[in-house]
Amino acid sequence: MDKKILIAVDDSENSRAALLYVAGLLGGFPGFRAIILSVVAVPEEGYFHSPEERRLWLDEKTSAISRMLERYREILIQAGFPEAKVKTELAVASGVPVSSVILEKQEQFDACTLVVGRRGISKSEEFLFGSVSSRLIHQAGRCAVWVIEPVCKTDSLSKKNKNLI
Amino acid sequence: MDFTDSQLMELVCRWIGPSKEFLFPAGKPRTITDTTDFFRVEYNDILVLEGRPFLIRNNEKEGRFGIDEQPKFWVKRAIDLLDGSVKIIKLVFHEHFKARAGPLTFECVRSPLKEARVIALASSHPNLMHGFSARDSRGNLVRVVDYIFGRKLEEHIAATDKKTHIEYFHSSFPQILREFIESAGAIKFLHDNREIHGDIRRDHLIKDRDTGRLRWIDFDFTYDHPENRFGYDIFGLGNVLIFIAGGGDITIQRLRAENPEAFSRLSPGDVNIIFGNRVANLGKLFPYMPEAMNRVLLHFSAGTDVFYEETGHFLDDLVEAENSLRGA
Repeated sequence: MDKKILIAVDDSENSRAALLYVAGLLGGFPGFRAIILSVVAVPEEGYFHSPEERRLWLDEKTSAISRMLERYREILIQAGFPEAKVKTELAVASGVPVSSVILEKQEQFDACTLVVGRRGISKSEEFLFGSVSSRLIHQAGRCAVWVIEPVCKTDSLSKKNKNLI
Repeated sequence: MDFTDSQLMELVCRWIGPSKEFLFPAGKPRTITDTTDFFRVEYNDILVLEGRPFLIRNNEKEGRFGIDEQPKFWVKRAIDLLDGSVKIIKLVFHEHFKARAGPLTFECVRSPLKEARVIALASSHPNLMHGFSARDSRGNLVRVVDYIFGRKLEEHIAATDKKTHIEYFHSSFPQILREFIESAGAIKFLHDNREIHGDIRRDHLIKDRDTGRLRWIDFDFTYDHPENRFGYDIFGLGNVLIFIAGGGDITIQRLRAENPEAFSRLSPGDVNIIFGNRVANLGKLFPYMPEAMNRVLLHFSAGTDVFYEETGHFLDDLVEAENSLRGA
């Protein structure tokens, strides 16, 4: 049975680095399925001037994220993941931490490994704004969590997969 | 309810006195029902909201970021002409701006909708400002809040008039801490209901002259911190606590000038996690500060590795710290 890897991404460079790391490390090897997840956290309704503005924001955001997920799916396929074994998932959440949605999806897909990028935020930023990767490390109970530094070394990757990065 | 000009004049005279010629040189009041252009809502206008008339007085003022008090043209002091009570009327001002906390910045929004929601929730809590919201004739969501007569927290502490910290700490601090714990319970109440205050700072905490309680005001800020929705509120509570425990701000500049020996004992981890010029580890300066109390303060220091994620945890520790004062 295939192992399932859940890669949680947003539109940041460090997320892209996390995806490329998985592509480079596992692309071409049998026995893996990848789920690329993005969580759109919608600000509360009071954050917008009107419900219409909120709807437009959400439409634009989900369109952009859907396009990004499709690009990321292509990257994994080019890296050697079989087309049938790469899935994308877009979740919309409001009023709950992104990390809790990621953990729900991990359970739903029964993924054995969670992969996220590391933003490299300061202690004071984490204090005020929170950190998705930090929460995942502390709260994930039934899977491994890989937190990928954007500058992760790729020495151990195959030449073909290095070219992707 | 519709009022004629003479009925409105009569109501004004009832609460202000018979000076209508001075108040209304044109011989009758100017009635406003549309507040979209809040600059046009002026002194002595009568704002009618859902049939209730309010006599507009002055603009409210607020000082921020080291700037002197600035008029807030969208916030008016007013008199409710039906019962004579003093109100603060907050007109719709959509503002999207970068909020600053020390070196950090984040997107912040002034939200009438969010404040109206919190006001509706706050009506049952004695440590929050009370009021209601109403739509004007153009649908603008106006908030009408009861004016709280009393001192700001800073003035409340200054009024204790103690010469030394040790004197303040043993005589006044326990009571002020008790009042603060009660007020922090109001923030927990908001968080339990998935709402935030949004702008917790010491000048948003008023010692109500009538009830004797500390009460939070101004709920209109909101922001988007999905991973840590309550973090900025908890940070605000920590700052207020440090201020109360120190009997005022203790800055490294002041300490260096006034007490070089104590300053020399500080390390980088002893300052506030965000405001690097304020001392958070007060136990280093005031050895009579019980450890349980200082432990709470250290959660807001640059040296901490453990953050409060819930107001309930902060309050639990604070109650324990309060108990420890009795043995201090």
